[in-house]
Amino acid sequence: MSRLKTTHDVFSAIGEPRRRVLIEQLVLKEMTVNELVDIVQWPQPTVSKHLSVLKKVNLVSERKEGRFRYYRIEPKELRPIQEWIHQFEKYWGSTMDQLDNYLNQIQMKGVDSEH
Amino acid sequence: MSTDKIIPAEIVREFTAPRQLVFDAWTQVKHLNNWMFPMPGCQCEFVSANIVDGGSSLHKVTMPNGHEMWLYTKYEEVVSPEKLVFLQYFSNENGDIVPMPHIPNWPRDMLATLLFEELSDDKTKLTFLWEPRNPTPEELNAFEATRSEHGNGWGAGMEQLHIYLESLAG
Repeated sequence: MSRLKTTHDVFSAIGEPRRRVLIEQLVLKEMTVNELVDIVQWPQPTVSKHLSVLKKVNLVSERKEGRFRYYRIEPKELRPIQEWIHQFEKYWGSTMDQLDNYLNQIQMKGVDSEH
Repeated sequence: MSTDKIIPAEIVREFTAPRQLVFDAWTQVKHLNNWMFPMPGCQCEFVSANIVDGGSSLHKVTMPNGHEMWLYTKYEEVVSPEKLVFLQYFSNENGDIVPMPHIPNWPRDMLATLLFEELSDDKTKLTFLWEPRNPTPEELNAFEATRSEHGNGWGAGMEQLHIYLESLAG
């Protein structure tokens, strides 16, 4: 079950809206905690707390440079999530494209489908 | 989570067809077999269908690469020609429900509500709502995490993420 657990943790981690905001910011560039605090305007402990959860599930990694720690996202961990984000729109949206084609087709053929 | 209320994911589409026909396309096997799949080149076969209040159906979608997917559907409301409510599950060929392989906490019960609205004789508006039913907190998290720009979902930064990930693919 350990492999499943990881996936589960990743999805729990991004289930929190504020952590999604942090990811969205880190997608733009690598940043320090203070840079993130400036942008999102939350207390620094809040930013740090959420960053540590993202780090724990490997969505974010940390790099030390001098006395600064830079945080960046780990794209390979994010990719499966990204694929799922549009799951509903993709699956049902594309399925309804098929319905659209089908309805146009049968109406052109004049198939009687009234009841 | 700051809110307990689930905001359904939503797709709204307009079809150039009479409302009755659009509704029948969702509820009659002779229609369903022709379109109920997510991309061209798939095949759909309903092996059982009792599409009435409290009924169920089992169908198989064969993807262009030969991969087979079984889907079991429980119908809660079939109100011709205006409303259709169902729960849909991944299943095996016997109709036994199987969990989503990729997301362990994906809500077990995903409820679809379809509203068919007549705009004119040959124009129909379809509103498709998709939401977890009685999710556990973990399931609700998984659902919220996978939604896009709506409600509590991802902000505009999602577009950036998308572009970024695309750029890595090359």
